[in-house]
Amino acid sequence: MLIEDGRPIFQQIAERIESDIIDGTLAEESQVPSTNEFAAFYRINPATAAKGVNRLVDDGILYKQRGIGMFVSTGARTVLIQRRREQFFDQYVQPLAREARKLGIEPDELADMIRQGEHALQAGAQ
Amino acid sequence: MNRVVNVMRMQLTNRWIFIGIPLIILAASFLLTLIIWSFIPNDGGVRISGGSQAVMWYFFALGIQSLTLTFPFSQGLSITRRTFFLGTLSLFSLIALVTAVTYWLLGLVEQGTGGWGVGGSFFALDWIADGPWYQPVAFYFAVMMALFLIGFWSATIYKRWQATGLLIAGISVALALVGTLYLIGSRNAWPEVGAFLGSQTQLTVAGWLAILALVLAGGSFLTLRRAEP
Amino acid sequence: MKTIIEVTDLTKKYRKSEALRGINLALEPGRIYGLLGRNGAGKTTLMSILTAQGFASSGEVRVFGEHPYENERVLNRICFIRESQKYPDSFTAEHAFKSASLFFANWSQELADRLVTDFQLPLRRNIKKLSRGQLSAVGVIIGLASRAELTFFDEPYLGLDAVARQLFYDRLVEDYSRHPRTVVLSSHLIDEVANLLEHVIVIDQGRIIMDDDAETIRGSAFTVVGSAEKVRTFLGSREVVHTDNFASLASVTALGTLNESETREAAELGLELAPVSLQQLIVRKTMSGSPATPEAADRTLSEAAR
Repeated sequence: MLIEDGRPIFQQIAERIESDIIDGTLAEESQVPSTNEFAAFYRINPATAAKGVNRLVDDGILYKQRGIGMFVSTGARTVLIQRRREQFFDQYVQPLAREARKLGIEPDELADMIRQGEHALQAGAQ
Repeated sequence: MNRVVNVMRMQLTNRWIFIGIPLIILAASFLLTLIIWSFIPNDGGVRISGGSQAVMWYFFALGIQSLTLTFPFSQGLSITRRTFFLGTLSLFSLIALVTAVTYWLLGLVEQGTGGWGVGGSFFALDWIADGPWYQPVAFYFAVMMALFLIGFWSATIYKRWQATGLLIAGISVALALVGTLYLIGSRNAWPEVGAFLGSQTQLTVAGWLAILALVLAGGSFLTLRRAEP
Repeated sequence: MKTIIEVTDLTKKYRKSEALRGINLALEPGRIYGLLGRNGAGKTTLMSILTAQGFASSGEVRVFGEHPYENERVLNRICFIRESQKYPDSFTAEHAFKSASLFFANWSQELADRLVTDFQLPLRRNIKKLSRGQLSAVGVIIGLASRAELTFFDEPYLGLDAVARQLFYDRLVEDYSRHPRTVVLSSHLIDEVANLLEHVIVIDQGRIIMDDDAETIRGSAFTVVGSAEKVRTFLGSREVVHTDNFASLASVTALGTLNESETREAAELGLELAPVSLQQLIVRKTMSGSPATPEAADRTLSEAAR
């Protein structure tokens, strides 16, 4: 399933578009698929898809051009990365630290593991 | 109005039901009669066949079918009960009229060809075919309408009150008939009744049947108004 | 906002049972509504009355602002093919579509043709000889191709395989996007249709027990799993819809949303949090509503909360 149950779908749509902007799939000033295309692709209600997209328009991440469609605003990527960085600690670091403590992993050891993970990613990228 | 015409077209979507099958029944019963006549040596007398009734009884079955199956379908197409009723009745009147005229015309041919060359009497039956053209036409028309509406109303009663309704209706009709016979008998009125029946022409019989058909139509409509598919 | 359907205190009594017990509803145009509930909950009865195919015992129904009974102005704009729809014995699917095209002003033959190919429906075979799934396909095609302003689908997927059901959902979203209208989709397969719905109406034993935007409902409950005692402390006075106990563990579904600090608190207590799907929530609610009276249902709910 592309859409998970139990969470408002419009949020998930908005997050997906944000992720696409962050990783460059959707470049700044490029056109975003229409609401109906989102609805058809994710098999969701068009009004729900529109709600997700409109939230990003209200945020200034996307902008509408009447009669043509929706585009990614210039500078959207920087804004989104900044926002994700702020959430990073709560979303990833805290649960990680909690689990590490449960298993008796010391902070230094944890830091080493993170470095190793980073090396593995670089090796994989080459 | 347009939707009433569309109900007629819907009933005719499968042309076999209202047009093809009646034609086949008519042709088959007529041919069969001709074959039978050809086997019997011609002694110069008149040969009479009741084969022309076959199509009329089919119309009784049509009355049942056009309601039981087509009414629930018409509800799915958001057709009001009134429109369905008017459309179905109009189509039927049209077909009964065409059939009646056809019988009269074939009756003319029959009389013109000396009973299809064998002295047979299939369409132009004595008494019915007497008199001016509109008399047999009116008679055939009224018979078919009455038969169709008996089928249609019975099916509507079944649709609305199921078997219980049909049973009660059947018993009521039987009681009314028995009651009438009893009344006639208890008043020693049989001679009068006989005289009355003897004095009927095809036109007056058509009139009585038309009244019956009107009553049946009214009853059908009132029953249909609260029927559920 | 103007409504397309308005129902007030609607009841329907059969000889021995009550199918609808005081329904009140208001539906707005241009949305996809889900009419959800178990088999026999009253879904088909309600739709029959809304389309004047059936009759109410008491109460008021207004569709497009008028009473639908024998009202062509209203009925001309409606399509309702019931799950057990009957067709004339002599008909083929082609006959059924031809008839439908006579009565639905917005009928799209192009869409009907395309759906026939999609569903691989034999057009010339007698309707009596079609399988259950093919019969459902005939109904689905009439419903979609009618493009009626108000279209009801009554458990349209019966007998359809997974591929065909997906096709129906896809075509519905697609055609709805291009030709917005009001759709009422009745279903007991909630998971399958949940994402298509904008608004959810849940009917249980002839009563409406939920009537809300799908997105509002989606975030409206959560399940917390952990040691029974900690779960109880954590939930405090929240309204509980369902409790499962397993040894010293409890899995409790409660209403409401959690803010960030509450989520953190749960994590620190060692409690697991899980989202609740629309289907789960409805199942829980219809299960707690199984006593015959609402008072009894309220009691079970408050007992569960204790």
